[in-house]
Amino acid sequence: MNVLISGGCKNGKSYYAQKLARDMAQQQGKPLYYIATMIPRDEEDRARIRRHLAERDGWGFETLEQPVHLTALLEDPSVDRSGVFLLDSVTAIMENEMFQRVETEGASLKGNAGTTIVFDETAPSRVAAEMETFAKATGNTVFVSDGIYGDMGEYSRSTEDYRKALAGADRTLAKACDRVIEITYGMEEIWK
Amino acid sequence: MELIFGGAYQGKLDYVKDNYEYSRICDCSDGREPDFDADVIYGIEGFVMECAKAGREAKDFFKDRETLLGDKLLVMTDTSQGVVPIDKNVRAFREMNGRLMLYLAEKAEHVTRVFCGIGKRLK
Repeated sequence: MNVLISGGCKNGKSYYAQKLARDMAQQQGKPLYYIATMIPRDEEDRARIRRHLAERDGWGFETLEQPVHLTALLEDPSVDRSGVFLLDSVTAIMENEMFQRVETEGASLKGNAGTTIVFDETAPSRVAAEMETFAKATGNTVFVSDGIYGDMGEYSRSTEDYRKALAGADRTLAKACDRVIEITYGMEEIWK
Repeated sequence: MELIFGGAYQGKLDYVKDNYEYSRICDCSDGREPDFDADVIYGIEGFVMECAKAGREAKDFFKDRETLLGDKLLVMTDTSQGVVPIDKNVRAFREMNGRLMLYLAEKAEHVTRVFCGIGKRLK
């Protein structure tokens, strides 16, 4: 069963998704994978990752690091594609693929060496297609995304492009998934 | 009349196209006034934005045309969540949009919310 989970920030989506994936793996006697999608950029990110790892400790997840190009996991011989996968989150993969960070050596326009963000306009449709391929190939993936569409949306062009892209991926996944669940403060609303 | 609403990019218009019979859509997202000869009135928030700029209450516009609502499908974007906008005009729009949605939801025979392209009838 493929499941799409969305909802607001800090509403209990990840916890709900972890329980669901673990139950699915236990019921079917299958390996349980956690697809980690974050690219750590600083100490705050690294601390967040350590906290997430501690939270998943003892749940039986094997962690797969795949912040971009999700379908590469399907080619990995060490990954059992009949297993149960928890992908947390679609949001992070879309960000990683749309806004690629390139390290610059010399001084940038702002006068300091550092990171330039390159916008990949082919990413939105590619990521949505990879998500769909992954769902169909595994048949047992819990996707976690984020509901960021109910406000005024007075954002910069690139943020608005991002919202549109993530919504597109969500809608593609909603079609490909057997269940679509919105989580509000730990409570579920079944959409499909 | 049925009100169909949802957040941005949720596939509201595709949902209407796939699930309802209609002959003409009036797209108000560019700010134009709803044409009640059409059976689907879409992007109503665009018209509300124009109303807010002009200081005209969008709810009253619909109230004055209540008899025209009949079996129309009214499609609009929910902008009610998130932080209160700093800009005074945007804030006025957001509140006006909310007042209109509240009014339409009360008048509507059915209300449907669209999420990730999926519709759910709330009323």
